[in-house]
Amino acid sequence: MPTISLSGIAKSYGGGDHAVKNLDLLVPDGAFMCLLGPSGCGKTTTLRMIAGLEQPTAGTIAVGDRVLDSVEQGLYVPPEKRGMGLVFQNYALWPHLSVRENVEFGLRMRKVPADRRRARAEAALEMVHVADAMDRYPSQLSGGQQQRVALARMLAVDPAVLLLDEPLSNLDARLRLEMRAELKRIHEESGATIIFVTHDQLEALTMATHVAVMNKGELQQLAAPMDMYGRPANRFVAEFVGSPPMAIVEVGPARTELAGSLLRHVTSRPGNHAPAAIGIRPEALRLDEPPVSAWSETAQVEAVLPAGSSWTVRLRVLDTELYAVSYTPVEARPGDTVTCWTDQMHLFDGEGTRLAAWNAVEVSA
Amino acid sequence: MAVLDKVEAPPPPRKRRRLLYRLRVLRHDPTAALGLILVVVLAYLVVAPLVAVLSDAFRVQYGDDVHAGQQPGEWTGYYLWRVFRSQVSGLLFWEPLLNTLVVSLGTVVFALVVGGGMAWLVTRTNVPGRVWLAGALVVPYMLPSWTFSLAWLTLFKNERAGGQLGVLQAQGVRTPDWLAYGPLPIVVCLGLHYYPFVFLLVGNALRRIDAQLEDSARILGAPRRVVIRRIVAPLMLPALSSAVLLVVGRVLGTFGTPYVLGLPTDYRVLSTGLYQSIRDRSTGVASVLAAVIVVIGVLIVFSDARLLREHRRFVTVGGKGAMDRLSDLRRSRWPAFGLAMAAFVVSVLVPVLTLLLSSVTRTPMDLSTLTLSYWFAEELPGAVGFPHGVFRGSELWTAAWNSLRIVGLAAVICAVAGLLIGYVVVRGTAPRVAGFLRQVSFLPYLIPGIAFAAASLSLFAVARGPVPALYGTTFLLILVMAVTHLPYSSRSGIAAMTQLGREPEEAAQVAGASWWQRMRRIIFPIQKGALVTGIVLPFISGLKELSIVIMLTTTGTQLLTTLSIGLVDYGYTQLANAVVLVIALVSFTMTYLTQRLTKSSLAAGLGG
Repeated sequence: MPTISLSGIAKSYGGGDHAVKNLDLLVPDGAFMCLLGPSGCGKTTTLRMIAGLEQPTAGTIAVGDRVLDSVEQGLYVPPEKRGMGLVFQNYALWPHLSVRENVEFGLRMRKVPADRRRARAEAALEMVHVADAMDRYPSQLSGGQQQRVALARMLAVDPAVLLLDEPLSNLDARLRLEMRAELKRIHEESGATIIFVTHDQLEALTMATHVAVMNKGELQQLAAPMDMYGRPANRFVAEFVGSPPMAIVEVGPARTELAGSLLRHVTSRPGNHAPAAIGIRPEALRLDEPPVSAWSETAQVEAVLPAGSSWTVRLRVLDTELYAVSYTPVEARPGDTVTCWTDQMHLFDGEGTRLAAWNAVEVSA
Repeated sequence: MAVLDKVEAPPPPRKRRRLLYRLRVLRHDPTAALGLILVVVLAYLVVAPLVAVLSDAFRVQYGDDVHAGQQPGEWTGYYLWRVFRSQVSGLLFWEPLLNTLVVSLGTVVFALVVGGGMAWLVTRTNVPGRVWLAGALVVPYMLPSWTFSLAWLTLFKNERAGGQLGVLQAQGVRTPDWLAYGPLPIVVCLGLHYYPFVFLLVGNALRRIDAQLEDSARILGAPRRVVIRRIVAPLMLPALSSAVLLVVGRVLGTFGTPYVLGLPTDYRVLSTGLYQSIRDRSTGVASVLAAVIVVIGVLIVFSDARLLREHRRFVTVGGKGAMDRLSDLRRSRWPAFGLAMAAFVVSVLVPVLTLLLSSVTRTPMDLSTLTLSYWFAEELPGAVGFPHGVFRGSELWTAAWNSLRIVGLAAVICAVAGLLIGYVVVRGTAPRVAGFLRQVSFLPYLIPGIAFAAASLSLFAVARGPVPALYGTTFLLILVMAVTHLPYSSRSGIAAMTQLGREPEEAAQVAGASWWQRMRRIIFPIQKGALVTGIVLPFISGLKELSIVIMLTTTGTQLLTTLSIGLVDYGYTQLANAVVLVIALVSFTMTYLTQRLTKSSLAAGLGG
């Protein structure tokens, strides 16, 4: 099984703008790698370059020992010879071919004899539970079925590398949950290396073994999902991952009262440098009895938003609004005064790089 | 598993390696090569003729060296002088220009009144038979434009022109020249052919206006006529201006009608003047005239585009409540229906029946001389040039076969080229190539057909470099016909490919299909429908095409259209009418079937 390596990959569409800037990425054999980032961050471009549908302007892409693209050495393997599988965001099923023909297409291209082709297409469709729609046409299928057929079409050729470009974004919430589990199962069963593009952090956290967060064409962090959540490499990752997002309090010269309060607490500990910004995740902001060592402050409750299993509370802490998420029922009512506290803060320097977690119980994957 | 250690930025790769990479990529992606080929072909077939015609307009032609006082091939302003300032300029240019303006204006007014009125009746009132009328009133556009002029001649021709007399004249009624020939009949005939343009465009616009817009005005207290003046009319402006400019553009390039009806009294418009100049072998003058027509055509389309852009802010999306209430005509319902029927009768039944009756009677329309000999007779006494019925002998069949072969081939080339252009535009990685293809393939739309044919003659009439002289060859005819219909097929090709997107092909590519396999198994099968309409629409339009063909055919390659015009020239009214009927029947049947089968609307094909 192959390791996919990207080194020094850059992509520009003419002009000064780079879709991808000098990207180095190693996808280990058998990994389920998520490329995560906001739209326009270069994640889909990266995926398409791996598939060979777009060409880098610099750098090398290799699978194992096989160099697929090397601008510097003048090497290129066209997409049809890469032997990968790709699922598109809109599935791209061929409307003029039946489900069976869609799934058999790749096998036909590989000159697999008809009877084996048939068997493998059926097996692939069984695997994604749409075998009963075998003789229908894509336009007669629901969105979820189309998605499964696209998956089956890819799985039928049994590629060692599976590429998925936001394949779940067009599904409704229930189906998405189901397909997440399905994809995870397929990953475990097939042992293939999967690269999965998404802008949905929940998808990345739930499915991936590795998450690569990208922004503006640059890799921000590569880590195991929970590591990335617990130890975001910089402000971008910290704010992008997590919902509701981490609150970031600037600690500049013209700081808010809240920032002042937090900063006094952080610098009261020896060995801590003064950060440029401090981040607090909503679920780290607690409303129960504070431990002695924690930072705490009185706060006004502005609104309580119950969501079944959790309660989101909008607080006014000194002069700043903060959100807290509680997984135990919140008794407080709007207008009440409560005490909020935290013992987990993320400290960032002037460049936005994360310095340390203050007082943090380091979260590990 | 982590980010590779940031290596020192690699030294700038040698250019040759980089180039090698680019070349390897290109070798596996024929899109680039295809795009380049299309660029070269379009540059040669569309841009080069225009350059050639311009250069011919400014260069001394052979035989003119004495008049111009310069050597052949030298740059000169002689032709400009001759066309615009000399003593013959009135005859060559100013008079035809004035006539063209008169005819255009007249045709526009006629088409607006009839087409606009009928559009209002059919879309906004409860006139009986609305659905049927909506289809029936488009039929005149499916007939070749000079059908009407032949019918007119059959009815009103006097002894001034040779051949069979018109019906009235034969009855002893002297038809004056102004009624038989010249501007009045030209305007009426062109108006009858082009009012469906206005009917369709205005009708669509009326249909799209949200009734709520009018209701709002009514509720705010505006009386009916104020609503029409302040709300409906401004909203209709884009459609009206589009229709007007389209009709003017078409009239500018139309040849058959002014030729048939203008020739006997020497009434010339720019298109027939251009034809005359080419027949007289005054290439320089012809080039100036062609250039003038091109310029006017371009101006028209640009002003249309400009007006449309300015009016875009007016574009309203029709709500669901649009048009469920129609004005009640009350007692005028049936008179209104009578009016609409009259339009149909005059624009479809009268011309067709006139042609049909005249083709089966020896003395036009005199039922006592009923005969089928003009269709089937083995021998026709007195007709030296065409001594038998149209279905006898080889002329009609040869011409029909030529039409089918040439127009069919041109249509197929056109459709495939359109689809390929769409493919390159959508897939292509080079935006400049895509932009060039998009614009240049649309360029012939701006240029009246007859001027484009003249331009092609400029380029291809003589051998240039390795390209032999192509004048009179079917090859040239096919090329020019394909190119003039390219705007429509490239537009629809681009639209079809854009709608498809690149993913289906990319999915096949990742699945291991080579370029040919992708084309054969994915792209063309999916685009089958687009391909069929892309062939049929240019085919129908090409079948009726006269302006281009008349410039480029010789007697060796007779088409149905040129055959019928030839018969008019001989004065064989019945035979000419019979041939036009054949064309009208074929073109009508094909249009009708296509609309039925593909559910495409003729309005969408107006450009073609």
